[in-house]
Amino acid sequence: MLLPEPMSRILVVGTKKRLPDAIDLLYGLENVHVIDFQGGEEGFTLGAPLPEASKASHKLLKLRSAEKELAIDAEAYEGTVAESKIKSELDEGIARMEEEVRLATEIRNAKQVRLSEAEARLAQLEPYRTIPLEVEMYRGYDNLDVLAGHVRADPEPALERGLSGHYELFTAKGGSFVVLFVSSKHADEAQRILSESGFTEVPLPVGSGLPATAAAELDKEIKSAKEELELANKEIAKLNEKYTSMVLASDEYLSIIVEKAELPLRMGASAHTFVLEAWVPTASYDKVTSAFAERFGDSIHVELLENRGREEHHADEEEIKMESGMTSAEAMSLPIEEEPPVKLDHGRNSGRFEFFVKLLSTPRYNEIDPTITVAIFFPMFFGLMVGDVGYAIPFLVLGALGLKRCKSQEWRAISTMLFYGGIWAAFFGLFLYGDMMGIEFTHAEHAKNLVSGWETATWASLLGIDIPHTLFTIPGIDFDVNLGYATKLGSVQILLYGSLWVGLAHLIVGLIIGFYNMIIRHGLKAAIMEKMSWIMVMVGFGCLLPVIIDALVIGNPDALSLSNTLLLVGIGLFAVGMLMAVKGEGGKALIDMPEVVSNVLSYTRLIAIGMSKAGMALAFNYIALGLIAGIGMEGVEPTTDLVMLIVALSIFTAGHLMIFILAILSAGLHGIRLQYVELFKKFYEGGGADFDPLKIKRKHTVEE
Amino acid sequence: MVDAGLIAIGAGLAVGLTGLASALAEKDIGSAAIGAMTENEKLFGKGLILTVIPETIVIFGLVVAILLWLNM
Repeated sequence: MLLPEPMSRILVVGTKKRLPDAIDLLYGLENVHVIDFQGGEEGFTLGAPLPEASKASHKLLKLRSAEKELAIDAEAYEGTVAESKIKSELDEGIARMEEEVRLATEIRNAKQVRLSEAEARLAQLEPYRTIPLEVEMYRGYDNLDVLAGHVRADPEPALERGLSGHYELFTAKGGSFVVLFVSSKHADEAQRILSESGFTEVPLPVGSGLPATAAAELDKEIKSAKEELELANKEIAKLNEKYTSMVLASDEYLSIIVEKAELPLRMGASAHTFVLEAWVPTASYDKVTSAFAERFGDSIHVELLENRGREEHHADEEEIKMESGMTSAEAMSLPIEEEPPVKLDHGRNSGRFEFFVKLLSTPRYNEIDPTITVAIFFPMFFGLMVGDVGYAIPFLVLGALGLKRCKSQEWRAISTMLFYGGIWAAFFGLFLYGDMMGIEFTHAEHAKNLVSGWETATWASLLGIDIPHTLFTIPGIDFDVNLGYATKLGSVQILLYGSLWVGLAHLIVGLIIGFYNMIIRHGLKAAIMEKMSWIMVMVGFGCLLPVIIDALVIGNPDALSLSNTLLLVGIGLFAVGMLMAVKGEGGKALIDMPEVVSNVLSYTRLIAIGMSKAGMALAFNYIALGLIAGIGMEGVEPTTDLVMLIVALSIFTAGHLMIFILAILSAGLHGIRLQYVELFKKFYEGGGADFDPLKIKRKHTVEE
Repeated sequence: MVDAGLIAIGAGLAVGLTGLASALAEKDIGSAAIGAMTENEKLFGKGLILTVIPETIVIFGLVVAILLWLNM
């Protein structure tokens, strides 16, 4: 269950006559992951698609073009059509639809052209609108040049000076457009003067009559063209409605035909036979062989090539090692022979966390599927960081709603995190911190006066009821079950110290999984040198941890004396582990050594984030309950003013809502980060290929 | 007895400056990671890991601050 499902490689050989039926069966089994034919076998070449592929592709092309013209959205449409119905209507239906769509789009395009032409003409005429000259008067002179264009400054004074009256200038309303009539002799001079005023020439108008009249007519034409275009578009929208279901269903039907017909491209073929290699889950091998035997008898032969184990074979590992003197670690990084696809195998609950593993990458065939560790530790860390019943309840509600309603993978993953994280948050909130909305149920001794002058509120005092601190005692071991053993702000030292141990335990779990992966891949010896060594280093660090705390924080001078057995055992384990790691992995192990400390320290974030949330909650509670409502303030009576109470309540709500949202972000992100960066680095390689069996996915059609 | 105010300032500097350092380092890696992700969405996991590597700096700062604070 922890490893991906075992896989077997099979070979299917048969006569080409039975190929179409064989393909149908392969798709029907939904358990066959095809290996692409690599060539190299004598007498076999890459197969050719079945004859129906080209005809179906041709029809598909027509359908797709109609789909585009009609702007059909395949994602949004949900309806289905029976396959037999499509089959009987396919050819006729496509031809009819194609004709109708062609006509409608032709009309639409013609209207579109008419509209844009009118618009272009109007744009050309626009500047001349306010000049009182008929369009005919701009053309047809022998000795006159006409210059029309936009200017940045008024050219009149300069023209007056340069041309001394051999011209006539018309300026449009607004002054930025001019038309100059000038005798041909002076045209060059006029050009030069105009260019000084920033002149850009535009073409002269065509047509007849006053520009204003012509423009008004064009306006009318544009309006009618727009109306007609809209009608044409409506026609197309009608066609869209009429044909969406047919087009999508036929598209799917033909796509399936093409996909099946192109499968031979992944097979080897000779004149009369085909050969196909594939992976199937070992558990379904019998089912596959019996299905083939039942349907084809002797005409198709299925053979088991191998049941793949988990050990790893590198291409000529030994030879290369001997030739170039590489260490075993270097040899291991050489390309590996083809790995089987990975079909993960786990229960429904931990399966919900698969998304988080796949986000990083798919596990390899020969390593433990880390989904289970993520399913255990991720929500636990999330809960440890939130640790508050007040936030846990909305987490649970939101998560449960999300799991029920949401369909997209991402939202389901987030809902999973919220739901399971919420369970742990409620657990830690009740029994570790005894907290709700940053307010304790009852006072444990360590957090009475966090703000001077304010008796920190508790739910017991706020509600005026008696909440027992010790719920009950477990008989036999005499263990008190309390509502909270520590507070996030009052007992920081012990919590931080505890978080280091959580980290150490988490890392050792990772290394043990790595140890197991190593055994199944490379055998016990490599596992001991490469993973057991690190486990020893970690345990050694674990022995040293109390000594370091003793010496550095508490300042006990005896801690570092040689009579301290913990110190000696710790140093011994650390040193031996380090030597083994260096021998197994080379000098790289020395570089990784400081990581032991930084990895473990990284887990202090579990408490640091809880602390920051508690600090913010304390601030809002102090403002709302203490300063505004006057509850628990020294020398102040609690307010009875309704307005003040409402203000206090709204600050309380807004503040906690903010903390709640921040909690999702920071606890979620840091919770998953501890898995990805600290835990996974100890054992996880990833990079496997997903098991992707031949399978028909239907959305718009139904098979009978 | 050491001056409590100075210790508090020291602790603040330890967290604040290391926080800035982490931020500077993560900003570059983060934008590069986003760039890589637009090319290939599968790089999300690796991008996330690379982006959070400099966080170690601020955690060391936090530890120093806590050690200072415990000696207050």
